[in-house]
This record gives sequence, structure tokens and C-alpha cells, in this order.
Amino acid sequence: MSLPDFVSQLDALVSEAEQSFADAQSAEQLEAARIEFLGAKAGRLKAVQKLLGSVAAGDKPAAGKRLNEVKSAIESAFQAASERLENVVEEVCDETFDATLPGTSWTTGRIHPITQTILLLKDIMGRLGFTPVEGPEIEDSWHNFDALNVPTIHPARDPLDNFYLASAQLWGNGSSGGADMLRSQTSTVQIRTMQHRQPPLRIISLGRVYRPDTADETHYPMFHQMEGLMVDRGVTMSDLKTVLRLFATAYLGNSVPVRFRPSFFPFTEPSVEVDYYWNGRWVEFGGAGMVDPNVFQAVGYDPEQVTGFAFGLGVERLCMIRHGIRDIRDLYTNDVRFLAQF
Amino acid sequence: MIVSWKWLQRYINLNQLSDAEVAERLSLSGLNHESTQALAGDWAIDLEVTSNRPDCLAHVGVAREIGVLFERPLQVPDPQPPVSGPAIQSLTSVQVDCPDLCPRYTARLIRGVKIGPSPAWLQELLANATGDPTQFKSINNVADITNFVMLECGQPLHAFDFDQLREQRIVVRAANEGEVLEAIDHKTYSLQAGMCVIADAQRPVALAGIMGGAATEITERTVNVLIESAEFAPGSVRHTSRRLKLSSDSSYRFERTVDPVGIDWASRRCCQLILEHCGGQLCSGVIDVGAAPIARAPIRFRLDQIARILGIEIPPATVRRILEALGLHIESEPNGNQVWLATPPAWRRDLSREVDLVEEVARIHGYDKIPEDHAVPMAVSQTTPLDISSQRVRGVLTAAGLSEALSPSLVPAVLSDLYSPWSTAATLSTLQPMLGVLDTKFWNNAGPVDCVRRSLIPSLLELRRINEFRHNLPVELFEIAKVYLPGETFPAEPTMIGVCSGRSLLDMKSVMAEVFATIQRSLKVRVEVVQDSFFSPGRGLRYWIGDQVFGLLGEISRSTQKKMKLRQTCVVGEFFLESLVQVLQVIPQAQRQSLYPAIERDLNFILDTKVRWSELEATVRAVGGVLLENVAYRETYVDAKRDGEGKKRVLLTMTLRSLDETLTGKQADDICQKVIGTCAEKLAAKLVAG
Repeated sequence: MSLPDFVSQLDALVSEAEQSFADAQSAEQLEAARIEFLGAKAGRLKAVQKLLGSVAAGDKPAAGKRLNEVKSAIESAFQAASERLENVVEEVCDETFDATLPGTSWTTGRIHPITQTILLLKDIMGRLGFTPVEGPEIEDSWHNFDALNVPTIHPARDPLDNFYLASAQLWGNGSSGGADMLRSQTSTVQIRTMQHRQPPLRIISLGRVYRPDTADETHYPMFHQMEGLMVDRGVTMSDLKTVLRLFATAYLGNSVPVRFRPSFFPFTEPSVEVDYYWNGRWVEFGGAGMVDPNVFQAVGYDPEQVTGFAFGLGVERLCMIRHGIRDIRDLYTNDVRFLAQF
Repeated sequence: MIVSWKWLQRYINLNQLSDAEVAERLSLSGLNHESTQALAGDWAIDLEVTSNRPDCLAHVGVAREIGVLFERPLQVPDPQPPVSGPAIQSLTSVQVDCPDLCPRYTARLIRGVKIGPSPAWLQELLANATGDPTQFKSINNVADITNFVMLECGQPLHAFDFDQLREQRIVVRAANEGEVLEAIDHKTYSLQAGMCVIADAQRPVALAGIMGGAATEITERTVNVLIESAEFAPGSVRHTSRRLKLSSDSSYRFERTVDPVGIDWASRRCCQLILEHCGGQLCSGVIDVGAAPIARAPIRFRLDQIARILGIEIPPATVRRILEALGLHIESEPNGNQVWLATPPAWRRDLSREVDLVEEVARIHGYDKIPEDHAVPMAVSQTTPLDISSQRVRGVLTAAGLSEALSPSLVPAVLSDLYSPWSTAATLSTLQPMLGVLDTKFWNNAGPVDCVRRSLIPSLLELRRINEFRHNLPVELFEIAKVYLPGETFPAEPTMIGVCSGRSLLDMKSVMAEVFATIQRSLKVRVEVVQDSFFSPGRGLRYWIGDQVFGLLGEISRSTQKKMKLRQTCVVGEFFLESLVQVLQVIPQAQRQSLYPAIERDLNFILDTKVRWSELEATVRAVGGVLLENVAYRETYVDAKRDGEGKKRVLLTMTLRSLDETLTGKQADDICQKVIGTCAEKLAAKLVAG
């Protein structure tokens, strides 16, 4: 047999063997293929090996080398196939299983929409450099009124318009030095902060406030406010307007004009109402102004040295507009179907 | 305040101005425009007047604002009614017994008036100033004139039928308890001591500053009229008005204070119009009791304060024009560089400080001139530990399927008394209850909602019941809010995490364990079973961090369930958020993890039923040493036949692992033997054979 014939037989054998091993789908098929090609007695490799004797003596070393290569190629093809088949498990389809059934019960809870709004407000104000501060909800009248420059005869102190404690002695006038009332505004926290910290200050206070309105669609005797305060040398109304415009841009996602309308709050002078121009109309946002010098004096700041601005807004209103909530009472009934929407 | 466009034109020329333009400018300078009503030949413009601007509760005041804004002159009449009668002092007297309630009282007397309908122009203006002329009812010429003057200048007036005053004199005094007065609304009011009344020699004839009395009102038989123009203490008027639930245009203005100089002007103006339209003779002089108005002190106004407060420069000439048009008298301070002495007019009691003048200039000059793109210095802010903690708590609880609730801080006594685990002191209560916040169909005798809550748990049970009633199951809720624990002066206001769930106690326990782990991975929390009838027996747990109690968790007892009218039992818990903030690990730190395999060993012990898992686990952990990675509870099995009464089998799995090597079976066996030995010794635990 000539060398080229011998080599061509070997090449045919190796490609057939590799094909057979690759085609094997089970251990039985692979075993049959092994016997066919690598069988010790009647394997086809054995048969080709026998032909080596008929190759010319001068060609024998080359033929022998080729034979060894082919043998090792076929053996490693077998090895690869048997490793592949080791991981094959016979699959049985269970017809009773229905993968189109609904997923098994798994629910996550929701964060209350008021909290979500508060978190958003804190986030935006945080980006503008304002840090949240906390304070008590049960206050003395000094922090709720006097320090905020509310005169002793002011209607805001009326016992019918505040949740005074039954234990308080002096409803609205002066202070017992103890717990008098549920705070009617979060500005009390600003007073407390200014009493123990020096400027510069950039703070927000957020939380529950209380006024005795009978609950209806648009009123609730408890609600949430956010108040911001910035005090430093040289803070002006231009800073106030700029901060509020930046806030609106972040909150509404668009640069919107801001408008000030004069208003009256005892704790700021000048005092303004703040409107945003949104969706073709002016929308009321909240109240603001420059901190009244009397407030600075009450907390021991020198109004000749520092100026500051303050602003406040109702969280419920923002939350209700944001989520299309029509009745404020829904926020506090806590029907789980209502809560699940947010 | 509703102003009539036509009426305003008595004091200012409005030619070439539109009502809309005027309303817009007024809105942006302090008088918020509510609405405009088109009337026959007139507009009724409704303006919101803030409480510091009583001068704008009058047409002259609004006209003055328009004059300042549009730079037009204001013409105010100067009433000088002719005198033709004897001196008023010879005919009557005024005695003020309570100067603190009535700082000033003036009276003029007109004799021989002819009562009749008021002139058409007057009726028209009054009708238009109501905003709805169809609702207007003219009274008579004298009464209409007093109302006209009030709406003209803001000073409320009252006209008495002089001959109906007993002894023809006026006494201003505090009412006696139990006195009654029939007012001109023909309702009878019981007066309380301290309310200010106008009386004659015998009886109250008017509620000072609020409403006149029926007995002395002007009727068609009235001939002689006494005109009252006075000032009453705002607090007293408001107090009386609220007590009697009676308010009027007059009380509204007195509550906001009146112009002390305008008192006499209003009196003269009223007399002038009465003489013109009702005839009669004005007695000479005036009775004027009380302090004369004090001349206003000038305000030192440093012009550089405008830029300091507003952040913009306004030319001094503009500033001066604005202030003078508003009625201030300006002088430059001698040698003062850009410092003025500005004296406010009597009708502007709200102006007393430099900063008040800055606001006046700003609002007239226009807030639109203030830029909104100023360079504000940058600053950093911090997220507080409290906010970090509450967000982590919310994260775990919502992941576990609980939704956040927010409920009112005030509860009725029935809820306040239901459970108060953190304070035995009586609940704080408020004078006013919250109205409309309680679902009354469940509670017949809940009491007013006036208790400041000491625990979130009753509120959460209430929310659960409302949801149960609506068939909203499952109800899985939590709330993060303050409770108020009465203290010496101020109550403590800890922030609590309240939970309320329909799942099992042990399920909720593992949810809470995950909450604590998110605060601090390795936080050591200890529980003990409490004796508390609020919870089902043996199913209430108290939580400790170190030697500090920080929470409770348990399944409510059947009697709690019944009291709350709940259909199903539930698990409730309450934890001090601040206790978690104290141990908050803001930035979790990575621990080295072993790279070697663990060995697990199951131990099945026979124990007394009374032995708690917590004791068993603590015992195992104590002897397990550093190689004991975890002790896991598997199951409890009771077989009285094999193990005897009062015994149980508890199966646990110990996970053993070393940081540095693969443990050998021998090492594991040694630990097992030590654990078995100690459990036998301390807990009389017997290992199940085989």
C-alpha cells in the first residue's frame, strides 16, 4: 500500500470517528461507537493498523507517526464525548405543571406618599446645602409664638385655633416654661436651632403640625410642613428667590419662573407668598420672607451682623397635587388599597 | 374687602385704567385679588387684606395704594360740618370705666334729624360694595351713612337714638355677669363679666365695637342722634365676638385696630353727611374721653439697608416718592449720609421699624425686580443618622410586605387607655379635640379625640380594624412616628417604629431581626418573655440592647382582640428608633470570610418543656467557641410515651468552621462532646440516643 493511500484511509477514519462520537446522544450509543472505532479486537482503528505492514519499508516511519497521531485524536474525541454525556440527564415533562399560572404570592409594602414627598423635599434641599433638623412637637408658647414675633394679642394665639394642652396655664400669653401646646408650625425648630448654633445656617425642619380644623376634603387637624432657613452675613431676598427657583426646577423638572406677592407673617419682614408658573398658570407654593430682626434678637443673633431668609410650605398640598389625591383624609385613613398605589 | 370702582373714583382719577390692570398691580403689591364682579356701571373688586393692613379695609386706603402704584394724586375730603346747636357737654356725658377695654371714646350729637331713606347714590355705592347688590338692604339714612363712612375710611361708627338712652348719657364699662342685651339682629345675648359694653345710666345698649342694641337703634321716630366714634381694645373685641359667636364688619376692623387720628375725622365726616342728607343741628364741640393719639416717632432709615435686605439697589428718589405717597413724612438726618428720618402716618401702625420701610419700598417698587439667578454660595449638607436609620427600617419593612401608615397623634381615651407600655403617667390631653378624624361607626363612647398618644400600637390596631371591615386583607402596616410620654416640664418625644401584622409572631420576629441587622450587622439583641395581659399568654416579648429595653413584640390577647373588635388576632410591636440610631453603623465594614468548608452537626436533645430556646442557644454558643459559626433551630417534637410528660425534643444544627483551616471530624466531635456535656449539666439536656 502506498503511503498516500494509507494516510488518506487514516484521515477518513479520524473524521468518521469524531463525527460518531459527537453524534452519540447516550452512553449506549457512545459505547457502540467506541467498539466500532476503538474495539480491541474488531475495531476499525485496529483494522487500519494491520495495513501498516503493507506500507513500503522506507515510508514506515512516516506512516507510523501518522498512525499514532490519529489514534490519539480518536481517543481524545472519545474522551470529550464521554465527559459531555456524563452531565446528560434524561428529562421528563410533567404535563400537570402549568407555567402560565400566576406567580406565587409575594408582595412588598409601600412607603406612605407623605413620607415619599418628604424624602423628595429633603433630597432636593440637601442638594442645595440644607441639612434637616428635628425638634419637639409639644412646645411652649414662647417658641411657638413669642420668639416668632407673634404679638400677645395676635389672633393666631386664640385657644380655639390651637391645640393647647389642658395642663397649660397660660393659653397663648407668655409661657409657663413648660409644655403648652402642640406646635402650630415647624418654625419652632428653627428657633431652637438658632438658640444653640451660630451662623452660618442652612437648615430645613420637616414634620407634623397641628391646628384644630375639622377634618374634611381639604382640611385635616394634623398636617406636615417644611420650613427652610438660611442665615449668614449678606443673605438677601435675591438669594431667597434664587434658592426657590432652583428648588422648583428640581421639583418640577423644568426651569420655571418664580413670583413673589407681598404677604404678612409676624416672623418675616418683608413677607411674601411664592408662586410658580406651571402648566400655564401661577400655582401657590408657600410663604417666605426675610427673617424679622425681632426673631434674631429673640435667639441672640445680632440683626446688624446677619440677615437670613425663611420659607415654608405644606407637604400635603404638594403630595396631593403630585399623586392626584382628592381627599386629604385618605392620607390618614390608611386603607391598604390606597397605600398600595404608591 | 370688596371695593366699588365707582366709589374709588371719589378719591382718585382712574381714567385710562382697567379694573384688571389695577387688580393685578394690587395683587402684586399686597392686596391679593380674589375676584371681580361686573355690576351695572361698576365693578365690585374683592381684595384679600392681610391682618396688618386695616387701613385697606376702606375705600380711601385702597385708593391710596392705587395712587402710589400709578403715581396719581389722592383726594380725601376734609369734613367741617357746620355747628348750630348748644355745647354737647350741656346735654350729655360719657364716662369710661374701663380704659383698658376702650382707650378712647368720642361722641357728637345732632338734634332734629329726619329719618328716611338714604339718597340713591349712597344706596348704590353701599349695594355695590357688597359685591351682590340684590342682597343689599338699605336701613335708613342715618344707619346707611355710618356704614358708608366705615367703608370709606375704615372707622366703625355707631348712631344711638339719643332719647332712648336712659338719663341721656353713655357709660362704657365691663359687663356684669348675667346681663343680657338684645342686639339689632334681634337676638338676645347673655353677657359675661369682662366683656366691654356701651351702657346708658341703667343698662347695656351696645356690645362695644361689635353690634348696637335694639332698644337704642335708629328708627323712623328718632329725632336726636348720638354718634359714637371710638377705639376698643382688639383682644377684648375678638374675645367677646368669639364667645358670643357674633362678628360684624365693625368687630372685624376693631380686631385689627383703627386709625387713632381717623376717629375724629370719621365722626366729623358722619355728621357732615347726616346734616346734608337728614337735616338737623349739630351741637357744638365733641366729647372726647381717653388718651389723645400719640404723635408718631420718626423711624431712622439707612438707605443702604435696601440693598442689604433685598439684594438690589433702588434709587433714593424712587424710595422717597414711594414713602411720601404712602403718607410718610421724610427728612434727611442732620449730617446724615443717606440716612432719613421717616415719620409714618397715623393709619399705618404696622410701620415702626426700618425693616418695615424696606418692605414698603420693595412691594411698591415690585418684587419682580429681584433677580432669581443670583450666585448663592455652595454648601454641603449631611444626611442625619435619624434619617439614615429610618430609611433602612423602611427598606426592610416594605421589603417584608408591610406598608407605611401615618395616623393622628391624638387618639380618643378608649385607645389611649388600651395600652401604654412606655409610661404609666396620665396621658396629656388637649383643650380642643380633633374633629372628624375618628371612624365613629365603630365607637359609641370613644370620647373626644384629645389624648396625646403614648404608644403607636392602639392606633395601628384601629387602622387594622378599619381595613378588616373593608375586607382589605392582608393588613400589614408599620408607622414611624413620635409618641409623647408625660414628663416634668416637657414630655419625652421618642420616635417609635410600630408594626402590626397578620403573620405569626415568629415570622414577625425574623422581620424585626432583619431590621436590626440593617442597622448594625452584628447587633446583639436579647428577648425575654413578658407577663402582660395585653398579649396572649407567653406570646409577648421584651427586647433589650445591652441593659436597655428598646421594644416589644407580641401576639395580642383574646381580650385585646375583643376590645378592639378585631376579627382575627395579630402581632404588634413597638421599638425605640433612637435606640437603633445609637448603635447605627453608618458604613458597614467587610469581615474576613473563611475560605474553608463548614461542618454541620445535628444535636437532638430531650429537655424539660419549660426550657426556652434562648437558654439552649445561649448555652450552646457559650461553649461552642470561635469555631461555632451558627446555631440553627430545626424543630421541636413532643412524644410523651417515649420521653415522659413535660419533656420535649429539640433538634438543632451547629455549623462549625475555622478561618484558617479545614476542620477535621475529630475537632467537630470534640466541640459536640463539650456542648452535650454542658447542656446536660446546665439544662439537664439528654442527647437522643442513635
